[in-house]
Amino acid sequence: MTPTTLALTTLVAPASAALVLAVVPGLRSRGWPAAALCILASVVSLGAALGVLSGCLADPTPSVLAVPWLRTSSVTVAEIGVRVDGVVASMLSVVTLVALSVQVFSLGYMHDEPRPAFGRYFAYHALFLLSMDVLVVAPNLLQLFAGWELVGVTSYLLIGFYYRKPSAARAAVKAFWVTKFADMGFLAGLLTLFVASGSFGWDAHLAPGTATVVTLLLFFAVVGKSAQFPLHVWLPDAMEGPTPVSALLHAATMVAAGVFLVVRADPLFAQAEATRTVMLVLGAATALFAALLALVQTDIKKVLAYSTCSQLGYMVAALGAGSMIGGFFHLTTHAFFKALLFLAAGSAIHAVHSNEIGDMGGLARRMPVTGGAFVVGALALAGVPGFSGFFSKDLVLEAVEGKLASLPWAALLATAFLTAFYMGRVVVVAFFGAPTGEKAERAHEPGWSMRGPLVVLGVLAAGGGVFAAPFAHLYGREYHFEMGVGPSLAAALAIGGFGAAYLVFGRAKGAPLPAPLALVDRVAKTSIVNRVYEVGYRRVALALADGLAWIDRYIVDGLINLLGYGTLEAGARARAVQTGLAPDYVLAAMLGVAGLAVWAVLR
Amino acid sequence: MSELRVLWMPLAVAGLAVLVLLVDVLAPPDRTARTGRALGWLVAAGLAGALGASFSVDGSGRAALGTYDGGAWTTFVQRLVVGAALLGALGALDDVAARTPKRQGEYWLLLLASLLGMVIVPGARDLVLLVVAFELMGIPLYVLAAYAKNDRTVDGAQSRAGEAAFKLYVVGAASTAVTLFGLALLTGMAGTSSLDGLAEAPATPLGTLGMLLVLGGIGYKIGMVPFHMWVPDTYEGAATPFVAFLSVAPKVAGLSVLALLFVSGLGVHRGAWLPPLGLAALLSMGVGNLLALPQTDLRRLLGYSGIAQMGYVLLAVAAGDAMGVGMTLFFLAAYVVTNLGAFLVVHAASGGGRGHGLDAMHGLFRRAPFLALALLAFLLSLAGIPFAVGFWAKLYVLLAAWRAGLAGLVVAGIVLAVLGLFYYLRVLQAAYMIDEEGERATPRASPALGLAIALCLAAVVGLGLWPAPLVDAASRASVDLVHPSAPVARR
Repeated sequence: MTPTTLALTTLVAPASAALVLAVVPGLRSRGWPAAALCILASVVSLGAALGVLSGCLADPTPSVLAVPWLRTSSVTVAEIGVRVDGVVASMLSVVTLVALSVQVFSLGYMHDEPRPAFGRYFAYHALFLLSMDVLVVAPNLLQLFAGWELVGVTSYLLIGFYYRKPSAARAAVKAFWVTKFADMGFLAGLLTLFVASGSFGWDAHLAPGTATVVTLLLFFAVVGKSAQFPLHVWLPDAMEGPTPVSALLHAATMVAAGVFLVVRADPLFAQAEATRTVMLVLGAATALFAALLALVQTDIKKVLAYSTCSQLGYMVAALGAGSMIGGFFHLTTHAFFKALLFLAAGSAIHAVHSNEIGDMGGLARRMPVTGGAFVVGALALAGVPGFSGFFSKDLVLEAVEGKLASLPWAALLATAFLTAFYMGRVVVVAFFGAPTGEKAERAHEPGWSMRGPLVVLGVLAAGGGVFAAPFAHLYGREYHFEMGVGPSLAAALAIGGFGAAYLVFGRAKGAPLPAPLALVDRVAKTSIVNRVYEVGYRRVALALADGLAWIDRYIVDGLINLLGYGTLEAGARARAVQTGLAPDYVLAAMLGVAGLAVWAVLR
Repeated sequence: MSELRVLWMPLAVAGLAVLVLLVDVLAPPDRTARTGRALGWLVAAGLAGALGASFSVDGSGRAALGTYDGGAWTTFVQRLVVGAALLGALGALDDVAARTPKRQGEYWLLLLASLLGMVIVPGARDLVLLVVAFELMGIPLYVLAAYAKNDRTVDGAQSRAGEAAFKLYVVGAASTAVTLFGLALLTGMAGTSSLDGLAEAPATPLGTLGMLLVLGGIGYKIGMVPFHMWVPDTYEGAATPFVAFLSVAPKVAGLSVLALLFVSGLGVHRGAWLPPLGLAALLSMGVGNLLALPQTDLRRLLGYSGIAQMGYVLLAVAAGDAMGVGMTLFFLAAYVVTNLGAFLVVHAASGGGRGHGLDAMHGLFRRAPFLALALLAFLLSLAGIPFAVGFWAKLYVLLAAWRAGLAGLVVAGIVLAVLGLFYYLRVLQAAYMIDEEGERATPRASPALGLAIALCLAAVVGLGLWPAPLVDAASRASVDLVHPSAPVARR
């Protein structure tokens, strides 16, 4: 099969599964058949994606299979289809691999759900994989946008899966709305790009000013999707969804879509140095800010959520520094180790029925596979030498070094220390020491459906560094690694972070947070950013709506009353036939006409 | 003979109306509801036949002393309104048979009379014919709005259909007066009532006033701000299946007139009508989207949402070039299937006797999966989410406006569209995520209603996946409409 046919297969498989589940309700309500079908589709997708990858490694020439989709007066504006190149091949493999792992894990994790809900869950998963694949293989930005929106809709379904829980329903709406708010930028950027270049391709040559506008607009959408400051607020809330969903959406796929967009539209971003500077600053700031917030969370999923924001900041900063490979390789390794961490956390939560790290304690002894997986993930995330995160972080730091007086570089190095520190805290408190409660004492390892994915992802998270060379090859670059000053510094910071965490939390568990952290904690709890948005919606949008309604009902009405008793009488007469305001409406409209007339005369 | 060929669509609709009248009069007087339903099916079959025939009959050319043109533009708009009438008839069929088994003939006759006006409107190339056709369309609608006036609502209160009809009538009558006055001024400016003559006339101050009065007059009919106030009240009061029809077909006719008159006839005077039209578009998008936010009655919510949708299509008219006009048609086609479908789902879902509030939708996903699925598609389409036809409609309209240099309006449109998500999402949340305990009546769509919803759903999804043929058709239909002397939109 040609690479494009294989890429098409990754779309057809989940699409067929979703379609069958949609039209045969019996399959969905029985649960297990739905899960089997969905996983089968993911296996086929993964096989096809790996086929694409091996094809691309042998011959990295891009190929496109597309048909005209959008026309105006016989001019083809955009095409729909699949494109295969290095970027697509690696992203497809990551997405399908993580999706399959998460689905297999869910077999055990969601086991106690009622059958229909179980089936519904897997139907959503098939839809999500389809949307993500549509986004990844897009041959132009318009199809990418379509996939982007579909990802938003399906993630809404998945985050709100426990819809009976009000907080979950609220979180789903918030996630959808915040990302959708940011998508305005995508749409406006697309329109500008089209008007300027006549196409939705990412290889257009634009005037410098136009390029800056287009890329800034696109980046606004990235800020929302990839949870960068100040639109990061939806991500911690989205932890209300089932934990495997967090592993899929909020580690490996959906949030990474923003970074993927920048990688994809790299030729456009390369024309806009100003946008890149904004990205560098915002990415580094988000990395540091979110790492600080992660320090003080006590909910294991919230720690991971803020950590995701922080790591996405790394990727954005790398892209801002112009290093596509740095950003994209970190996306890849992050997908492995963060999915691993979420799944391991899910396994722990499953065992103790609590998200609080204080309720866990000593889990590593009772659950060696889960504990081992979490520790491997934490080491990779912190960037301890030898683990995958070390190599990808090194690429990022190397790219950022020296830019803007090295301030972003310093921020990212500080983040590296903090990352090791907060992950060390979780590892020490939740997985070592003595069990803190009855449940933690009776915790036991889950079944193999949950342990299997942990092992597979664990191996990838630990050894993912070996992919760096073939990864660079996909883009026609060479990869060399030298243990110079930068990497040594990063390694020292990572190990130092773990050591500090052990010193602070290792002996006195339950102890209050040290003074500087208590301050961060207090700031985090005020959640200023959230408050701003809430006020924005309630005070501005709703108040505007109320105001308009009020004007509609009273001002116009009152004006008319002022106009004379004749109107009032007409109103009274009309009310006799139960019609209250009708004449007033006419008068209101007449005032509009009068306004038009005045305008025409004064013009 | 060739004149009859050009006029075939109005003649076909009129013939169908006469046939319905005859059947109604000649049928035995003791009909049960069942034979009455046959009358509705007859109307639907006739309309489906006319719609099918429009693809094989070539009606191009002029007729009636050059006042009627049967070209591509006319055919496209006619298909839209006949299609809307067909879907509306299918949706209303059982409702009419159940409410008023003895006088269904009236309902169908009035509907067809109104439709007759609608199929003449896009072909009219003379202001006099235009006014007559517009009134023919409007007057039966007032009566139809009052059709449910003796009904009782869920809590036993008197139906508000009388109020709905009265408001529609008073506002409609005023709108006619304003339009007529404006057209008179325009005729004075051009020295002729022919639309072709209008294009060549130099602007005069009184002529400009005329233009704006016409804009206001038609603005009433399509529910454009500030002429929108009747919309929510009428939608809430009248029978829902009728509102489904009312919310789309007259707007198609009204906007086709706006496009015809302003872009084709008065294109050279774009500078005079663009600012007020743009302002009306902005206000419609703003007021519609904002006031829809706090609504809890679904018919009012869809009413305000419809006002917002009119704002978007006005953007395309404001673009004032061939692309803008073509995208007006495309948007209207998408709007017909989407909005009609949404209203029919609301009607079907309220069948459980729980009214039209947001809570009537609770747990719809479990009780009636098909209706819930259709609702999802329609609301996503209205919100402009990809792979529903509404996304393309919005995208194209924004593209046309952006190309014509209306950047400010486009940005406002995008921002307000995001606001719109709030209320569409609230309805979906009620249907999918809120699930009350206990058994509740399962709404069941009758075959005709189900068919109408299924057709809308197929169109929304099918055209969403593959919009190219419809876009092509809309572009072709508008090619010969734009006057060559119209200013070319700048790139």
